Amino acid sequence: LSLPLSVSLALSVSLSAVADPSAEDGKKEKKEVDPFVYDYHSLRICGLVFGVVLFALGILLILSKSSYFSRKCRCSSNQEKKPKAPGDEEATAETLIVSKAKEPEPEPEPEAKAEN
Amino acid sequence: MGDKDGKSSPSKKNKKGKDMDELKKEVPITEHKMSIEECCRKFNTDIVQGLTNAKAAEFLIRDGPNCLTPPPTTPEWIKFCRQLFGGFSILLWTGAILCFLAYAIQAATEDEPAGDNLYLGIVLSVVVVVTGCFSYFQEAKSSKIMESFKNMVPQQALVIREGEKMTINAEEVVAGDLVEVKGGDRIPADLRVVSAHGCKVDNSSLTGESEPQSRSPDCTHDNPLETRNVAFFSTNCVEGTARGIVVCTGDRTVMGRIATLTSGLESGKTPIAKEIEHFIHLITGVAVFLGITFFILAVCLGYTWLEAVIFLIGIIVANVPEGLLATVTVCLTLTAKRMAKKNCLVKNLEAVETLGSTSTICSDKTGTLTQNRMTVAHMWFDNQIHEADTTEDQSGASFDKTSASWAALARVAALCNRAVFKAGQDQLPILKRDTAGDASESALLKCIELSCGSVKQIREKNKKVAEIPFNSTNKYQLSVHETEDPNDNRYLLVMKGAPERILDRCTTIIIQGKEQPMDEEMKESFQNAYMELGGLGERVLGFCHLLMPEDQYPKGFAFDCDDVNFTTESLCFVGLMSMIDPPRAAVPDAVGKCRSAGIKVIMVTGDHPITAKAIAKGVGIISEGNETVEDIASRLNIPVSQVNPRDAKACVIHGTDLKELSQDQMDDILRNHTEIVFARTSPQQKLIIVEGCQRLGAIVAVTGDGVNDSPALKKADIGVAMGISGSDVSKQAADMILLDDNFASIVTGVEEGRLIFDNLKKSIAYTLTSNIPEITPFLLFIIVNIPLPLGTITILCIDLGTDMVPAISLAYEAAESDIMKRQPRNPTRDKLVNERLISIAYGQIGMIQALGGFFSYFVILAENGFLPSILVGIRLNWDDRACNDLEDSYGQQWTYEQRKIVEFTCHTAFFVSIVVVQWADVIVCKTRRNSVFQQGMKNKILIFGLFEETALAAFLSYTPGMDVALRMFPLKPSWWFCAVPYSVLIFVYDEIRKLLIRRNPGGKWLSLSLCITFRPESCHEICICNFTHKSLIDTKTRKLSNASLFSSPTLSSYRLGGKGDILLSDGYRLYSYPYIFHLFLPPFIPSLARHVFRCPTP
Repeated sequence: LSLPLSVSLALSVSLSAVADPSAEDGKKEKKEVDPFVYDYHSLRICGLVFGVVLFALGILLILSKSSYFSRKCRCSSNQEKKPKAPGDEEATAETLIVSKAKEPEPEPEPEAKAEN
Repeated sequence: MGDKDGKSSPSKKNKKGKDMDELKKEVPITEHKMSIEECCRKFNTDIVQGLTNAKAAEFLIRDGPNCLTPPPTTPEWIKFCRQLFGGFSILLWTGAILCFLAYAIQAATEDEPAGDNLYLGIVLSVVVVVTGCFSYFQEAKSSKIMESFKNMVPQQALVIREGEKMTINAEEVVAGDLVEVKGGDRIPADLRVVSAHGCKVDNSSLTGESEPQSRSPDCTHDNPLETRNVAFFSTNCVEGTARGIVVCTGDRTVMGRIATLTSGLESGKTPIAKEIEHFIHLITGVAVFLGITFFILAVCLGYTWLEAVIFLIGIIVANVPEGLLATVTVCLTLTAKRMAKKNCLVKNLEAVETLGSTSTICSDKTGTLTQNRMTVAHMWFDNQIHEADTTEDQSGASFDKTSASWAALARVAALCNRAVFKAGQDQLPILKRDTAGDASESALLKCIELSCGSVKQIREKNKKVAEIPFNSTNKYQLSVHETEDPNDNRYLLVMKGAPERILDRCTTIIIQGKEQPMDEEMKESFQNAYMELGGLGERVLGFCHLLMPEDQYPKGFAFDCDDVNFTTESLCFVGLMSMIDPPRAAVPDAVGKCRSAGIKVIMVTGDHPITAKAIAKGVGIISEGNETVEDIASRLNIPVSQVNPRDAKACVIHGTDLKELSQDQMDDILRNHTEIVFARTSPQQKLIIVEGCQRLGAIVAVTGDGVNDSPALKKADIGVAMGISGSDVSKQAADMILLDDNFASIVTGVEEGRLIFDNLKKSIAYTLTSNIPEITPFLLFIIVNIPLPLGTITILCIDLGTDMVPAISLAYEAAESDIMKRQPRNPTRDKLVNERLISIAYGQIGMIQALGGFFSYFVILAENGFLPSILVGIRLNWDDRACNDLEDSYGQQWTYEQRKIVEFTCHTAFFVSIVVVQWADVIVCKTRRNSVFQQGMKNKILIFGLFEETALAAFLSYTPGMDVALRMFPLKPSWWFCAVPYSVLIFVYDEIRKLLIRRNPGGKWLSLSLCITFRPESCHEICICNFTHKSLIDTKTRKLSNASLFSSPTLSSYRLGGKGDILLSDGYRLYSYPYIFHLFLPPFIPSLARHVFRCPTP
């Protein structure tokens, strides 16, 4: 499911890797010829490619509903959010103790279900 | 109330204020005390013939049509202007005007004025107009939904004029008309009943009484609202027929007065509007301070007055956060959309946040907290109270149905019952089906249908032979049936009615299906059961039957019901059934959540105190263990006057008592009692209660569905009406509508409101931060005469371009802590934007950002040959068009055009640097207390924002033609990284700051977020503890109350329908209202497991 994202990530990394050195290379080559002239044309192209890739990445991120991110979000809203509550430090300590005295605790649940 | 009016009226000046006070007083109807003849004389009408047509026409012209004047609607253009010039827009308009002013000065003094100020002014105006249109259309959308609620069907009325019955439009009814109503009709005007046959009206929308009230010609009470001989406009006649003289029409009716009162009330500013105002004051203060300071500096530095004025204006305008208006609007809209998805329709964008600030909820009972349908709640047979399932979805527990007594009771209830299901509803669930007949009979019908199958079949098997319908003198209803067994020729007599009357006629009682003589002991236990059920606010009916001896009543016996020729004595008592309008399933949980969110929930109802109190206990508005003064008195067996009112946390106040309270006493009650129920309140009193709460500084939400709630709904900071059951008037008056009538949606509203408030804070902090790197270039340009590091266009690109998406994305940020566990914000102390936020944004992060920007500015200029040392003071030459040989540090000469290209490249680099530092800023602004590592980066929109922001910056810099259009030039890759160290610095700096805040509790944040911790010894204890809402008190003190002391086995057996007293350590019975358990334990416990324990789900 996270395939499109990872692919696009890899793509972007490689692209930017291509983009930057090429700019640097161009700069060096020209520098030997004339340090006061700069290849703005290829710079523009690289910059635009960089922008397009970023833009596409962003759009992909928004559209990837079933991606790694949103799934994590959905779970978190149910379970992970709570431990983030204030008094967290104490709470974690308590859960440890509670889990020790866990035997009586599952009882209310089945009862509730029975009534449902 | 009188003195209330006396105090408030002098402050209000004109006639209108007086009218309002007049409307706040009680209803002036007196006709109910007159005899019918007097009444006829007063209206020149005849009791048989009715009005003449000519008279009616004359009255119609005199009084106007019988309809409510619709509330004055604001013209669309005024609404639009309000969007255009309200709140935040003012700031931007001022900015725009200042810009134009500055441009005008420049144009007048310079030959070739720079267009910057003109453009800025135009852009500011465009931003305001576009955002204004946006929010206008947003609100127009919700008002369109509102329109669809309007009920357009014209009402008809049956009047008698000149002795002839005629059906006319209800609008044409005039005072004095003789009107006939029958079951199912809407009452066309306020009527003085002159004759009635079993007439019952449903006054719930006016008075809040769930039960239909019978109407008769006799005056039974001085109060017109209580008396039986007045029927009110727009209430419904449920059954029977009645004839009455119209006493009031249109706006003069009781309903009309309430509607007029409602539309005359003016609701104050929303809390968020006040916050924005405060924010504007702060921002203006900062802007003016900076402006004046630099104006003085500029004058001292030798600039001309006009130049200094332009600088002044420039600095003030630069302080205006151009993008913030749009950001705030979009954030609020997003929340409104999210709430609409959860069935909360918000009429006014600003009201989105109000529920989040709410500290008091005044809730109506009927239809809001309760289902507004009578339901069988308890039964008493076999000398035991059994409870029926009252939940809407039949998820509650049931009772033992195997007893023969129950079969007998069910048979009596099914047979001695005239209610029937309306045809064609077989596929609907039983509880949803419509019935024809009395509310309590319908309740019995549904109850029997649910537990014993088709009532129709039972009735077919037991053919009815004779029947005496209910009347108020007998107080019973009786019918005679054939028995099911065709070989049994006896007749079965069944009777139901007022329990004491039924008992009087009984000599035996059924226990476990066997008849036993009724002894004193039995009678006593009957009394106890009757008292107990009555004490629950339930309406109790008694049932008895008799198999008539065949020798006296042989087959074919002619039963005469008018002249009763058969025995109605020495019957066999079967049992009691009691009915109540039960609470909605989701309400107790919602009330509990509101409580834990620090919101006080007050019940304000028109219903009777006993019922109100029972429901209040049922839904947790009065939590278990809390007693009223009366409870304490009866427990200790002392008179009420001896009880210290401070001992009682709960109180039930009757409307008539409320009338006599002074303002101070009222404040005292509202302040000192945490759990308040107001019963028998009139609409005017509801309004006064809301005003009382507001006087104490609370932000008040009112929920209600009836017309009687609408003045309070309007007056409240946020009125919440019910979408399905709510009346039109209440929906008009409300700010928010719960489309599914689910009270629990209020909790969603509170949650979303609090979240958006927090997130708006973050958005604003983020947006404001970039103001500093935007202003400082201009300041340095003035003070040290360097070439301008950042131009107006680039500033706009940041404010309206790159900053937008990240700022909006902060609206999607998840809450940092459990927002439903902290107290509501204090409107006087917890501001949306306070000095602290400004100091962090401007003074700390903003300064680092400015450093980053200047660093890249100096780097670029240095790479081009202008070392920083040469820059100071270079401005005059730099900006001089005539100077085409300006030398840099290396002696190269620069023409004006060349210099400008470098300058604009610097602008671009500064712009990109701001984008880079804003990366860190948005991550830093995500949280206000937690570390980003705790919070995580789960906000997809925010990551999207980071990408888009950067992409936009790249586009702006590299797209061909940008150098001409926006004067932005391509940057070398290395220049992008100039600001990165500063970005890192911001991140590290703020993480350390937050760490310090977390390490040193006692700041505002910690005191806000209540630490909820429980003792972990036993989960059960805590379940109950929380369930009874005592947890709030307990968790603060970290002590578990005595409520925790009963053991789980007792509880479980109890919940499963067993009978066991739950005893507390000090010997109180915890629950005298056992059905409550069934109602809200099931939904509560799983949520508890999540909320409180954080134990792994099984």
